[in-house]
Amino acid sequence: MERPQNSVVRTPPNSTAVQRRSKSKSYRQSYRSCLGAASRLGLTPGLTARRLNSSRRALKSHIITEKVNPDHLALLVKREWRLSYITPLHQFRHTQLKRYSRQLSAFIAAEKQQGVAMEVEGSQSGFRVSFSVVQGLAATDDDAETVLIQPQIFSRPVFAKQDEPQKSVWSGWLTCINGNPEYLQSLPKGFTSLPLFGGSGAEVLTSLVKSWFQQTFDCCFGPLEINHTSLQWLAALWTNCHTESNLQHLKMIWTLPVVPPLQITYTVNPQDAWELWMSVRKDRLEKTEDEEEAGSIDIEEVMRFVQGLKSHFYRHFRLDLSAGNLNQVSTALGSAKFSGKIKISNSRYMITTLTLLTECALLKMPV
Amino acid sequence: MAATINMSDSERSSPNDQSVSSRSSNRSLRVAEKERRKNEAEDPFVLALKYFSDVEAGTPVYGNDDFERNLVLVEKVAYSRGLPPEAISIMLEFAMSLRMGSAPCVRVLKCLIPATVVPQEAVVRAVVWLGVGKIPISTQVLFIKWVLTVFDMIDAKDQLRAIYGFIFSYVTEENLVYVLVIFVLVRKLLELQSKLGRQPFLLHLLSLYKVFCPELVTLSIPSRMRSGFRNHISPWKSALIAVQKRNGSQIASSMGLAFTTMDKTSSRKRKHCHLEFPALRPVVNKEAPTDQSSGRKMVPLVQLHSFAELLENMHRIELPAQMGSLLGSSLALQYLDCVQDESALLRLNFWLGYTLHEEFLFCGDGGATQNSEEALQFLNKLLSAHHFLQEGFSSSEAFLYKFLSVWDGSLLRPQILGLLSNIPVVPSSQIGRLLFEPLMQLFFTSSLFFKCGLMECLNSMLLKWLTWHSVYALEDDLDISLNSHTSINMTLSGFKDSVMELVRFVGRLASVGLQIEGCHSLFLSFVLDFYETVCDTFLKYGLPLVVMPPSGVFYPALLATDPISVDRLAYIMHRYKVNLTSAKAQEKQTKQAFHISRQTFHEFNHYVVVMVSCLWNSKMFQPGLDVQLGEELLLKSNVPQYWTSFDLIHHPAFMSYAVDFHQKCWPGKKDMDLSSIKHSKPWSWYLEYLFNQGYDGLKQFAQSNISRQLTAGDGQGDTQQR
Repeated sequence: MERPQNSVVRTPPNSTAVQRRSKSKSYRQSYRSCLGAASRLGLTPGLTARRLNSSRRALKSHIITEKVNPDHLALLVKREWRLSYITPLHQFRHTQLKRYSRQLSAFIAAEKQQGVAMEVEGSQSGFRVSFSVVQGLAATDDDAETVLIQPQIFSRPVFAKQDEPQKSVWSGWLTCINGNPEYLQSLPKGFTSLPLFGGSGAEVLTSLVKSWFQQTFDCCFGPLEINHTSLQWLAALWTNCHTESNLQHLKMIWTLPVVPPLQITYTVNPQDAWELWMSVRKDRLEKTEDEEEAGSIDIEEVMRFVQGLKSHFYRHFRLDLSAGNLNQVSTALGSAKFSGKIKISNSRYMITTLTLLTECALLKMPV
Repeated sequence: MAATINMSDSERSSPNDQSVSSRSSNRSLRVAEKERRKNEAEDPFVLALKYFSDVEAGTPVYGNDDFERNLVLVEKVAYSRGLPPEAISIMLEFAMSLRMGSAPCVRVLKCLIPATVVPQEAVVRAVVWLGVGKIPISTQVLFIKWVLTVFDMIDAKDQLRAIYGFIFSYVTEENLVYVLVIFVLVRKLLELQSKLGRQPFLLHLLSLYKVFCPELVTLSIPSRMRSGFRNHISPWKSALIAVQKRNGSQIASSMGLAFTTMDKTSSRKRKHCHLEFPALRPVVNKEAPTDQSSGRKMVPLVQLHSFAELLENMHRIELPAQMGSLLGSSLALQYLDCVQDESALLRLNFWLGYTLHEEFLFCGDGGATQNSEEALQFLNKLLSAHHFLQEGFSSSEAFLYKFLSVWDGSLLRPQILGLLSNIPVVPSSQIGRLLFEPLMQLFFTSSLFFKCGLMECLNSMLLKWLTWHSVYALEDDLDISLNSHTSINMTLSGFKDSVMELVRFVGRLASVGLQIEGCHSLFLSFVLDFYETVCDTFLKYGLPLVVMPPSGVFYPALLATDPISVDRLAYIMHRYKVNLTSAKAQEKQTKQAFHISRQTFHEFNHYVVVMVSCLWNSKMFQPGLDVQLGEELLLKSNVPQYWTSFDLIHHPAFMSYAVDFHQKCWPGKKDMDLSSIKHSKPWSWYLEYLFNQGYDGLKQFAQSNISRQLTAGDGQGDTQQR
């Protein structure tokens, strides 16, 4: 694979350029500094602190129900997912999912029964894992297709009916929606970036699945918290959808660092929230006729919106929420917690939410 | 079958004697005695072997003195020194071919203790005999046990496959058949396990498969597993160990690695486990062979256990499933040094970067850095990997840039500074923001200890950069070019800029640091260490760059209260002079040599003038020098002859020497007049005396800067450089 191998130090045109060629890797590695890596990977982790996009498209109700298998969608929504970020997977192939299913089933079964070896091809285990591709979720060509994992357990009670559906004990997915194209393109061949991982089910199974992925694709999992800023973004983005899909409520949980810690649940009437949001958006909407321009939201607008909510609260309770942290945001469209748990209740707005989360996950990449 | 029956017949045919064994042992003792007595010219051991290789089939065993004598001889050698490979071949062939029936078979097998290695053909031949011969089952088992015991000593490693094949009955070189055989066998073992339960030996066998055929078996091993093959029961083990000890050879157990790594992984079930190196595991999903490498069988790194094996298989080593595991084993580090694959290194960097970030920056688990013991060990291992590879990883570099801004300067200080000293050359455009700004903040707000540590770290960083330059600049001359893919440009001027930035930065740090710490001599010593590196950049490392120390460093060293610092400064100035003169000479010789700025020469000359007039000529505080005080102020201080107060006699660092010298020179003199040393004769004696105290720096400085016909009045030496 030919990547533009930018030099670490550019050659000044007038100086006597000493072309150094590597005879050994060692030499190359000497110069594969963080800056070298940066030029290789397009991003400069050490140099420019990657930040969240300061402007993003408003939640558009994507009609993904037409593109995506409804079964898959049903699984993705209405469930609370615990999020993690993953470093790029090595030698992951979307075509090998069947094989992965077998391996992961055997792995889980083996870990469950320490010391009993499991035959990979066998089906004697009580677990059957299914890997499937969620077609149609990827937003750009650079995005790898989302992968869904569902281990199912054969719970075979003695009197179970023959046609009783197998119980799904755990599910999870890996995705990349609108991932930073620069980053994705800079990865060498053989790497697949699916930076966002969500799992739902027993913690034990989550950690088993993670360790199987680690051993198989040489990747690493880390917890992904949804930070203060991202939560504010979500609050604004969801409010922005109120006219299309009723919010029912905008609930925020703040914690204030006092002794003892104070937790404040702040629920706003959706209509009020919407009107506040519109007052923030008014300028832009009046100024521009452009559809494109009108559809995008800036971080300043989000901040003004949240500031509005805060000052309203201050007026009533004399408590400045700026001193605290936003911990949780929930509406009828979904809920998100600082600890990295998210629930998307309406598939129409899934893409934008996942885009934001993908961005958060990519920010965590070590290289 | 027939053979066994014959055997028992013959046994029956020798009845009513005493027991056969006791008789033969008596005889063997006698024979051994005799053997010891006569020392023939020809080696009896060779004759014995000859006997066993030539003996005709059907020769009787009982009552056969020749046989007895020779076997005793072989046994004696075997138990004392071990058998050489050829002897193993001959004896194994003799035993397995049943040339003298199966009676001696066991005895011969028992004494097959290899001195060095077991030849592969011998084992293969024995396997063939196993197929055709009529060897009793118990003997067959003994043979298999023997093979298992000496397994690690079989000379060729490609034999691994053949040996497997033998254990599983049929061997071919064809990969396919091999895999099929293993496949069938794994199924059998799994079946067996379901019947017998978790037998340790089955578990061990299966876990071996996990190493060799990971795609077939998934297994997690309980943390405490009993030893599976009770190897020590076999009669050879202790003898083998004794022989090996005697011969001083160490042959690592091949099974050791596979088991230890697995045990380690399963035993850790703690919560914070980012700080562990993953275990070496083979890749499960192999890549489809590319057209180049097809037909070449890859060897997973897990299966290699010695450096020799590594060398042998260098061209076909398969990387492990998790690259991070390479850092955990020293053998794997050797290989890492040769890994050319960018994506493999990227995998390693992903893992390392992730680990460092999670542990020290994100601290997601809350106070993960509290368990500093683990962190310490992890970083120490990382550091030793850095030292082994003589460079740092890019991910640890990227991590450091972020970490420096949040570091308190005390958490794991030696380790962090160690990592820092390994970072490669930073372009001069970035160096300030990435390195200098966070370091400056840390430096000015932390203890003397940290200041010294940082100074040492920056010195070692500079040393590494310079060494890098001196090694690879030579290669440029040779102009070895490989593919352009791996080439990286760094212009000489770019490199020089970076080094210059670093040296100037350290100069600033040192000046302010010396002021803050009241010219602490420990700190001063670290600063002088740094300048000992700097002053020799041209001659030692071939870098055409000379940077003088700032006056904030020069004067504290010159006026230091300890003679060592002054001496080291003199040495540094001497080296500067040598470097500058040789650079100048080169400039004259070859037109294209680098140009040293007039400013540098000017600074150097100025410093030399100051040093000479201060230490030798007693002309301190004279106009034109840097240190100037108002005439009135000096008079007010009531110091008599203040201009002499920093010469080699009155300098606070050397005063005690002057006193000592004075006493030695004029023992009877009651009132001490140090100024009397200044007279021409005693002055040269005094200098000689000082130089003899081990102040070589001063000596060299004097030799290169001060003309011989030195007098007290016009001692200024030849200091002109241009």
